[in-house]
Amino acid sequence: MPAVPSRKRVPSYGFLSSIKGNLEALTIGLKYFLNPNRSTLHYPREYIKLRPGYRGYIVLNKAKCIMCESCARICPASAMKMVRFQAPDPKRPGKMKLYKYPVINYQRCIFCGLCVDVCPTEALRHVPAHDVVYMNLAEMELDLEAFQQEPKSPAEEEGGIPVRYIFDSEKGLVKVRASEGGGGQ
Amino acid sequence: MAAGELKLSGWEVGEVRRLPGMDVKKIGKDLYEIFIGPQHPGSGHMRIIVRLDGDVMVEVDPDLGYVHRTMEKLAEGRSYIKVIPLMERMAILDACNITLPYVEAVEKLLGLEPPERARYLRVLLCEINRIASHLYGMGIFGVFLGHSTMYMWPFGDREVFVELAERLTGARLTHTYAIPGGVRRDVPEGFTDDLRKAIRYMRKRLEDYRKIFLDNPVIRARLEDVGVISRNLAIELGIVGPNLRASGVEYDVRLVEPYEAYDELDFEIPVFEEGDALARTWVRVEEIKQSLRILEQVADKLDKMPREGVMHDKFWAKAPKLYKDVYAKEGRVKLMPLFATLRVPKGKAFARAEAGRGEIVYYVESDGGMTPYRVRVVSPSFRNAIVFKYIAPGHRLMDLPAIYGSIDYFPPEADR
Amino acid sequence: MSGAITWLGEWLFWPPFFQLVIAPGLVAALVIVIFILWFERKAAARVQMRVGPYNVSPRLGGALQLIADLVRYSFQEFIMPFTVDRAAFVAAPLLLLLASMLPMAVIPVSPVLPYSYAWPNIMKYNLLLALALATLSPIFTVVAGWASNNKFSLIGAARESFMVTAYELIFVLALLSTAAPVHSYDLVKIVEAQSTWKLMALLNPPAFLAAFIATLLSTSGFPFEIPESEHEVVAGPFTEYSGLMYGVEMGAAYIKRYAMSVLMALAFFSGWKPLDPQPGAGVWSGYVAPLVVVLVKATIIMAVMSFLRAVYGRYRLDQALHLAWKILLPLALLGYAIGLVYGYLGVL
Repeated sequence: MPAVPSRKRVPSYGFLSSIKGNLEALTIGLKYFLNPNRSTLHYPREYIKLRPGYRGYIVLNKAKCIMCESCARICPASAMKMVRFQAPDPKRPGKMKLYKYPVINYQRCIFCGLCVDVCPTEALRHVPAHDVVYMNLAEMELDLEAFQQEPKSPAEEEGGIPVRYIFDSEKGLVKVRASEGGGGQ
Repeated sequence: MAAGELKLSGWEVGEVRRLPGMDVKKIGKDLYEIFIGPQHPGSGHMRIIVRLDGDVMVEVDPDLGYVHRTMEKLAEGRSYIKVIPLMERMAILDACNITLPYVEAVEKLLGLEPPERARYLRVLLCEINRIASHLYGMGIFGVFLGHSTMYMWPFGDREVFVELAERLTGARLTHTYAIPGGVRRDVPEGFTDDLRKAIRYMRKRLEDYRKIFLDNPVIRARLEDVGVISRNLAIELGIVGPNLRASGVEYDVRLVEPYEAYDELDFEIPVFEEGDALARTWVRVEEIKQSLRILEQVADKLDKMPREGVMHDKFWAKAPKLYKDVYAKEGRVKLMPLFATLRVPKGKAFARAEAGRGEIVYYVESDGGMTPYRVRVVSPSFRNAIVFKYIAPGHRLMDLPAIYGSIDYFPPEADR
Repeated sequence: MSGAITWLGEWLFWPPFFQLVIAPGLVAALVIVIFILWFERKAAARVQMRVGPYNVSPRLGGALQLIADLVRYSFQEFIMPFTVDRAAFVAAPLLLLLASMLPMAVIPVSPVLPYSYAWPNIMKYNLLLALALATLSPIFTVVAGWASNNKFSLIGAARESFMVTAYELIFVLALLSTAAPVHSYDLVKIVEAQSTWKLMALLNPPAFLAAFIATLLSTSGFPFEIPESEHEVVAGPFTEYSGLMYGVEMGAAYIKRYAMSVLMALAFFSGWKPLDPQPGAGVWSGYVAPLVVVLVKATIIMAVMSFLRAVYGRYRLDQALHLAWKILLPLALLGYAIGLVYGYLGVL
């Protein structure tokens, strides 16, 4: 069944409707004044415990990396670059081998997650963190070591309460402690 | 005469005279000019040059281009998949709608049709985006009229749909969800139940909106018969989207040229006759209702469908076992490495979709290489921007925010 | 030495000074305005799915946020653009504040005079005088807009002057309709004629409604926040102001609203009733307690006005004028007629 157009008119409005409208507006305002439906997150006293599927910061598992460069090639923001270096080849003693691994520049990263999805060995993964703080721009260009570290949310490290928003047909989103919220760890 | 005093005698129209610190130009008899924007609380990333006779606007000139980012040119230097995150920056709150025609155009060039489940998933995110986009527009509209509650409520309720989009795609905005061949993720577990809860909640909230905003006598008075776009003017200026449908024109890309799964869904295209700011607001409210209806059907359909095939076989048939395991476990579609260097056959393709603010059109031309030869975008806000010039004159200055807000004009989308 | 203290006391407790500067004037006004601003933000936040001011003092519900804002305004740079008319630019906000406060000097807050030595008699025409003084302040808003030499300020000032013509007559008529039944312009007599539940607001609702809406009109309360309407004219007459001067101008509107609320609390809500101070009562029972009752009533009126911010948008200027001239003015005249009937029949 394709869409059908339906012609409508704006509801008419007379003098009585304006009195009714005033009363309705005041009543609904008063209703929410007496029984507020708040959705504020008191960050950093609370922070959202992100779900596993969240496209957060990216971490490299060097052991799985096969140096295929797909991630660097697909990156739309040129945030991911390969670092190349010569190191002894463990399979052929005495010989050197060219290694290349991805590193990321979070000044440029747009968290599209294409690198994670294109990685043929799941060497890259998202971590559920999105509020990492860097002290200066240079720090945002990770080196190979830093790229393997899992970044931590500062709110989490400072002992904020992990919360999660769950859906509710009465209140929209309801904030609950992450331990009570369904859907993943 | 002290220095810095302005000589008023014999001042011709168009003549510039100097004051310390400023040049003063006479623009007309009994006229003055104010610049709404770009540094102004009521302008957004644009400037509206308004000439006033007393309190009545005589001439209104929208001055666009403050956030022009040369997107079309940038797209020519990027491989096909990288254009999607770029084009999303036009309207990040409407990311799926705004990039979908591009993906469709590339699919036409590649000669592939996305599988059925992928088509429904695209519709799912498109409608979530449409609701979020309308709520955003209504929130901005509310604050333009000084109604702070109507600013906070839609923004708070938009969070419900942003959260849904996040569960589906992993990102609150800029989802980069639809890609040539299909979509990037399947729905997570329990998603459709949450979706139904959100639909029930939003239906209830729309009634609250009606009470506090649409049927509020103050707002009624501000909107009724303000900024009327007649049917003829709307067609003549070529405006699109809800603004066009508020003027009584039955035009919606989902209606005239159904794409994705829209021809299999049962919904209405609300069309209002009046063409004033109030009708434009009502169109959006009714469209949210219809989008909720679509979402309900999509949720039912997704529940019935087998959980497989969200990517075209061209990119999925030869996928290794790891890819299929990840999809089975997380619902995440891993991309074949060839996506990074996708070569698209030579040709021209054209596709359009109904984004939150109206029809968006893409023309993609390929010369057979790794990057598009040309990507042309016509965005809905750009087509709507011209309206200011024609409908604002004759109204009072205080009507300008009402007109601006009811058009739901979004400068980053217009400027590309 | 004791002579000096007596002299100081006489000055301090000289009603025009005490009332204007301490209570119900400047000091009390500041405390109440700060409370009302806090309440306004909290009430709007409750309706709007948010929390409102909170972080400055979580245990007090963010009440100190307003103090913090005040301090910030005080230390912010006051920028004087070189195109403004300097003297008028600086004087306007200060005079605006003073003029908003002036009605306080003549409004009685108690029927009796606890100190015999320094207090002149309560004047007989205090309602008339208070109304006359309440109409003084808008001129300085217009001056501020004019002196700023900015198009947005100018439009805001023009809007303010339109509004003045609209609300003044209504407010004066509405208040006078409480004077008619008691055959006196003395607020003390008007209050004494009412009792705890026999309120002028209930006896004469059209007049009260007109006075209430006229107060909103005069103090840029929603739905009439028109001269400062942010989305066309930035901050209206106050666009060029910064720092403390901006704070003063914003505060002046609230102080004016407070003055008018005190007037309404007396004229429509039986002032210091249920208390009934008798001649010869001490300072506490004769002056402070009635004062507190009046201020509480005024605060409640202001809180209701503040709540409207969460419900309404703003009217267009011509619609506000239409409402004032075509609906409120007849309403106020009706209220006055009702007052005259009461006066003729001697109901009160």
